[in-house]
Amino acid sequence: MENSHWLYAGTTILVLVIIAALFAPVLAPHDPARQDLEQDLLTYSRSHPLGTDKLGRDILSRTIYGSRVSLSVGIATVTLSLAIGLAIGSLSGYAGGWVDQLLMRLVDVLLAFPGILLAIAFAAVLGPGLHHVVIALCLIGWTGYARLVRGEILALREREFVQAAQALGCKPHRVVARHLLPNLLPPLLIQATFGLAAAIIAEGSLSFLGLGVEPPTPSWGAMLNEGRQFLLVAPHLTAYPGLAIMITVLGLNLLGDALQDRLEPRRR
Amino acid sequence: MILLSGGCRFPGSSDHPPGYLVVGIESNPLELDPRYATDANSVRIDALIYNSLLRADDRLRLRPELASEWKMTDERTYVFELRQHVKFHNGKAMTARDVKYTYESMLDPRNHSPKRPLLKALEAVDVLDTYRVRFRLSVPHAPFPEQFTIGIVPARSNGMETPGAEIPPGSGPFMLDTIDPGESITLKANPSYWEEKAPLAGIIFKVVPDAMVRALEFKKGTIDFLQNDLEPDMLPWLKKHTDAEFDAHEGTTFQYIGVNLNHPILKNREVRQAIALAIDRASIIRHLLKGFATPASGLLSPIHWAYNGAVPQWSFNPEKAKRLLDHAGYPDPDGPGPLPRFRISFKTTNLDLRKRIAEALKEQLARVGIELEIRTYEWGTFYSDIKNGNFHLYSLAWVGVMDPDIYYQMFHSASIPPNGDNRGHYSNPELDRLLEQGRRTTDAAARKAVYVQVQRILADELPYIPLWWVKNVTVQNAAIKGFVPYPDGDLISLKKVSLQNRLP
Amino acid sequence: MKRYLVQRLLLFVPTLLGALTLVFFFIHLIPGDPIEVMLGETASAADKEDLRHALALDEPIFVQYASFLGALARGDLGRSLYEQGAVTEIIRARLPATFELTLGAMVLAVLGSFPLAILAALNRRSWIDRVALLLSLLGLSMPNFWLGPLLMIIFSIHLGWLPVSGRGGFSHLLLPSLTLGLGMAAILTRILRASLLQVAGEDYVQTARAKGLGESWVWLKHTLRNALLPVITIVSLQLGGLLAGAIITETIFSWPGIGRLTVQAIQTRDYPLVQGCVLTLAVSYLVINFVTDICYRLADPRITYGK
Repeated sequence: MENSHWLYAGTTILVLVIIAALFAPVLAPHDPARQDLEQDLLTYSRSHPLGTDKLGRDILSRTIYGSRVSLSVGIATVTLSLAIGLAIGSLSGYAGGWVDQLLMRLVDVLLAFPGILLAIAFAAVLGPGLHHVVIALCLIGWTGYARLVRGEILALREREFVQAAQALGCKPHRVVARHLLPNLLPPLLIQATFGLAAAIIAEGSLSFLGLGVEPPTPSWGAMLNEGRQFLLVAPHLTAYPGLAIMITVLGLNLLGDALQDRLEPRRR
Repeated sequence: MILLSGGCRFPGSSDHPPGYLVVGIESNPLELDPRYATDANSVRIDALIYNSLLRADDRLRLRPELASEWKMTDERTYVFELRQHVKFHNGKAMTARDVKYTYESMLDPRNHSPKRPLLKALEAVDVLDTYRVRFRLSVPHAPFPEQFTIGIVPARSNGMETPGAEIPPGSGPFMLDTIDPGESITLKANPSYWEEKAPLAGIIFKVVPDAMVRALEFKKGTIDFLQNDLEPDMLPWLKKHTDAEFDAHEGTTFQYIGVNLNHPILKNREVRQAIALAIDRASIIRHLLKGFATPASGLLSPIHWAYNGAVPQWSFNPEKAKRLLDHAGYPDPDGPGPLPRFRISFKTTNLDLRKRIAEALKEQLARVGIELEIRTYEWGTFYSDIKNGNFHLYSLAWVGVMDPDIYYQMFHSASIPPNGDNRGHYSNPELDRLLEQGRRTTDAAARKAVYVQVQRILADELPYIPLWWVKNVTVQNAAIKGFVPYPDGDLISLKKVSLQNRLP
Repeated sequence: MKRYLVQRLLLFVPTLLGALTLVFFFIHLIPGDPIEVMLGETASAADKEDLRHALALDEPIFVQYASFLGALARGDLGRSLYEQGAVTEIIRARLPATFELTLGAMVLAVLGSFPLAILAALNRRSWIDRVALLLSLLGLSMPNFWLGPLLMIIFSIHLGWLPVSGRGGFSHLLLPSLTLGLGMAAILTRILRASLLQVAGEDYVQTARAKGLGESWVWLKHTLRNALLPVITIVSLQLGGLLAGAIITETIFSWPGIGRLTVQAIQTRDYPLVQGCVLTLAVSYLVINFVTDICYRLADPRITYGK
């Protein structure tokens, strides 16, 4: 019974965020890039209920539009990482032997390499921008999924139904697709929800290091970073995007938890 | 083990030794040997550790320091009488041999000193006497005296040394005590300084990379002195929450927009002038910089002896900008609608304030129909891009402008990278001629006349679009007495500063 | 067991080599020239070529790679292009600070998460559980660069209990460790709670509680040990991230650690220093991994390496 509460709460939050992202132009009262230097750092006003930032831009509008960027970075990163991880992990787990060894060493190397430095270096090479952020985050991100997939495949490979399928002459990729993947879905999905939350935060950290979305694109991470210097004089600059991140991460984790409880009541 | 030892005092910790002044800086000084120092923090710390033959005063005039007097015996020769009884921090006496050694080690190509190209005109340094030294140039080079402000180090017995092996002792009012890499640099007062001993017991330069944390440390009392590199909006907060003393003084740091003159649209002078007219400098200064800058007409600020104020000022006039753009052949396709006349990119580093200013500029240029694409980069990539001409517009600042000969480096056609800083590839034969004349003429009045013309040409042609001269802002603990700000941010007056009514 | 150890150790080397090769080519391919930074604006092209030659930076990249590997075999990481001194010395000077911070963060994370996770698991679905969940989510979603200054303002300025930044005594360590450790604590709480529940099984827990505190204690001792296994794995994974992720915390708190050094080195294109730092971080990560594997194996002999 309690599980459903979490599930509903998490889903509701996410749906709200997605609605904000999809309908931003309708929901936002102002153009998020419109500046008004005379009206900077307002805490509250009738036309700016959440106040304005240093350039006089409406924080409510920027927070709403920010959901677009944060969500798209998160979804793109997770999707890409998942795809790569799935491909490499299943190849590794299914093929075994030296292919497996080689790929897993590659995973080790990438994991041993400090991820955030790779992101910095990459961003320096590629330059700033949203898609570059995604690429940089994916570079390390896929390894977790690959390991997961490989582990699951190794465990499942020995199970009877797989061996039966193989005995019947099913091609490997068909075995993977039809028999192994459905078992993989729950843990992958759960990882993905957590990964999404992590990606949203990581985007903020990249903004701190000076790499991230380009101005004047509003993203929650970038807003947090821009407002950081004003923590003492105008805390509302960071409070609202911070709250947005927290609520979204909360929703994602609630969903992930509920899915975990529901889809895998007893693991191994 | 490590935590248990936490009670011990680590060197360079935020403990505040009595009599010491703590200055907050934003990055680690890269190189303290004055013969190799290029970054601002290193240069400023060096000014306290080392003496030089001449030193610029707070009006940017060169005054004798280690020299008791100096003269030009002809257009290419300078002779210095040195002070006697000056000792280096290791006890050794300073003589003409040390001066010769310092300059020869910079000229030696094996040492790869960044100062070497600046000394290109120097032919020889001769020791005439224990306390007399002569500099002979190969050609008359009016800007050369600026090179007499390099710190003097003691001669080594073996001549050649590995650069950066050890920081040589100086003869200045403070000596280097300890360096905690990444944390702090501690200087101690020189008890046998040849001028009066510094009232301070010492100075600690504390490295605090984050601007807000620097302000918090100041509030807490663990930093006593801050100069520049602060978020402008933090200053009213500091004013309200501490009893600090604030000072804003005119400075020489020049913020500008560099233009790529090979760009098909930007090579058009009217376009550049239109951009200059479209910028509301006063608004940005008032709101984003909280008043801590002055709108600029060119590189040289009014403090400078060669300053020419009688040049086009390009004050905010968006209507005229639009007319110029129309005239230049770039009409606005839909009037007040969203379509721009053209798009250009604007590159900047990724500091928060720079990004904010870029965004304000983008908005201002949008109002006259120019769409700016802001591209931010970390410093290394940014610098590399502008050196390679890979930009349309970029924003940067020149710090520490002293001799107007710097125009040669910026705008002479021979100074196109990698041989100089003419990053926009500006080429004007008349300007070339004037700049060459300016460095050959040693008569001050004649030089000024030359540079007056130079400034007029540049203000009309706008290879750089001037933005503003940044004011130097200092935040000082109320106990500090006697600090005199210098236009280029030099901290040399710390040698006369004292702390009064200080609570330990 | 010995075979396993040897196998793992052997894998050390190629993995390390792989990481180093990756960083070597990467840092050299990034735009930006250390010579420019070193010599500044005024140097001529000839001067720059001279320095480039003296530092052997003008050789083809594969030749540079070969010399790098050669020097590495001798234990020589080269000299930093900016800071005075050998790379090994510079890094060694910063290591204690990094260890201190990492250890501090770990200790705080464990101290905070373990009691909370155990209480939450024991009292599943009660208000304690809810609070634990919310606290851990809070910890997960607050980025370091926001949390750090917030803590500074509260504890250092308003309350005046602690210093603002910098390295020093124990009081200096508290806020940076808290900032760095909160994310780790959040993850630990959730993983440990989930693990405890899985190992114990719901019914067992309820039964144990019903029987009184003594039973709970026995349960705790037995179940906890088993529940710790996946936690150890996660912790070791996180630890690797902690070392590098401390970059932001180190910058905010002016902590003289390896993370900040690495970022600085990248920004100034100090190739030898970047390589040295990445080597250090990679080695630490691999060592931690290795130790974790051993502990895991010792704790649960059923787990075999490979298939």
